[in-house]
Amino acid sequence: MFIQQLINGVMLGSTYSLIAIGYSLVLGLLQMINLAHGDVFMIGAFLGLTFAFLGIPLYLSLLLAMAGAGIVGILVERFCFRPLKKAHFLGPLVSTIAFGILLQNVGTQIWGSEPSRFPQTTDIAQFHIGPIVISSIQIIILATSLVLMVALDLFIRRTRMGRAMRATSEGQVNASLLGVDTDRVVSFTFFSSAALAGVAGVLTALVYLQITPFIGIRQGLIGIVAMVIGGLGNLRGAMIAGVSLGVIEVMNDAYFTASYRDIIIFGIFFLFIVIKPEGLFGAVQQEK
Amino acid sequence: MSVYTEGVIALMGINILLALSVYAILMTDQCSVGNAGFMAIGAYTSAYLTVKMGIPLMPALVVGALVSSFIGLLVGIPALRLKGLYLVLATLGFGEMVRTFFLNFEPTGGASGFRGPMGSTLFLIYAWVVGFIVFFWLLDRSRLGRSFDAVRDDPEVASTMGLDVVWHKIWAFWLGSFIAGIAGGLYAHYMFYIESGNFNFLLSTMILLYVLLGGMQTFWGAVVGAVIFSILPEILRFIHEWRLSFYGAVLVAMMIFRPSGIITRKMVRDLGEKFDKLFQTART
Repeated sequence: MFIQQLINGVMLGSTYSLIAIGYSLVLGLLQMINLAHGDVFMIGAFLGLTFAFLGIPLYLSLLLAMAGAGIVGILVERFCFRPLKKAHFLGPLVSTIAFGILLQNVGTQIWGSEPSRFPQTTDIAQFHIGPIVISSIQIIILATSLVLMVALDLFIRRTRMGRAMRATSEGQVNASLLGVDTDRVVSFTFFSSAALAGVAGVLTALVYLQITPFIGIRQGLIGIVAMVIGGLGNLRGAMIAGVSLGVIEVMNDAYFTASYRDIIIFGIFFLFIVIKPEGLFGAVQQEK
Repeated sequence: MSVYTEGVIALMGINILLALSVYAILMTDQCSVGNAGFMAIGAYTSAYLTVKMGIPLMPALVVGALVSSFIGLLVGIPALRLKGLYLVLATLGFGEMVRTFFLNFEPTGGASGFRGPMGSTLFLIYAWVVGFIVFFWLLDRSRLGRSFDAVRDDPEVASTMGLDVVWHKIWAFWLGSFIAGIAGGLYAHYMFYIESGNFNFLLSTMILLYVLLGGMQTFWGAVVGAVIFSILPEILRFIHEWRLSFYGAVLVAMMIFRPSGIITRKMVRDLGEKFDKLFQTART
């Protein structure tokens, strides 16, 4: 069923989009990738799981997991980015991978390395539209991601903080000369980036129903791929590329061999970087 | 020596080689977050040669490294167009591509891994380590070493001085992927068993971390970084389960408090002068 697969792909892809946007937000500001992002995603998933076990309703769990992951994001910035302004430009790359190791270990200690099962909190209703089946979980995922992406887009374009973020990404020194508190902007950006990863974590956990402290590794990489294809620092590009990747992945599994999935994804990724580094929709950051 | 200690020391030697392989590329102000990929190519090629074709270990290692360095050239040429973050992403993508390739490549076992390569000894590993250290030590004092320094410090000035910057950058990639290939071959023949998951991007970034925290101004930084940060997790065993958290925290703290790494060029020079003085006083 082609349309069914398409819908499944869009659901999966929207979680990729949320992760990719997080990378893109940070990259637009600091021209560096945060390799702990996948692990922040994992922490978000486990926070969601913990709140669900405590009997907190799903929408509230989502908000709490967002806040929790966001705080982890602020810590990443405090320890891995802010003190390294004068270090080699690869400094944050290795710091964040070390921070990721720490997060994985903390995750293992708290929640165990065995897969944890997500409790069934919401009743899954199945909607049949002709031959197509859509579950309520899928609707939640799509609605949450859509609302968040539109909200973020409006936030960056319409609000004062959003304008400060855009100014800072044009040039930190100039922005701070014009009275923007760039440290606060950077902190806030990390918070929102990590919060989106946290939501993506909870949503992914709802789909797969079981999670381990190591789920962040692949999801984090896929997020990077989506960000590159969408164009570095280009938020709308990251949204579209994430959804497309999800569709490609599901279509590949349905009509081709599942085991070649990652070769195809990373092959596309490598070709993009080498041949079309600005991505499909144009990079916001120009220096190559 | 217990099997455990020997294992730690052997892996330390392989990490030194890997750190040198990243250093070689950093020598020209490029970077690679995909050296685990080159390592995988060396490992699988040499293992296939010894196990399936019965070729002796040494030639197999060299052939593996040559294959890896040939791929390194192929990556190095498009890498010339890329700088900074884009090169980080390209090499990261390359590494993951290689890993997923071997995950699905049936002649070398695919997802079930490849069993059977053997023959690496501590002696063999450290012979290569010493060999490459001597190589970098000689390179450091040679005209070629100076020109690599010039290319790193200021490519524009270097090219006005008549140095072929492109040539230096491509050969740095060749050299780095050659060393990583040797390290991979030694690793495969030490572990008796390899699987694609051994060569993931976490390993690639850890190698980069050895060099950055050890200090990237001289190759001694890479060596010292690899030694310290491969032993540290073993020393930390007394804190049991939280050891990796502590390790991660130490790495983050090191990066904050010593951003230019443990070993700096000045430190090596001062030590060298002290040695010279010591010898002079001994002679007089």
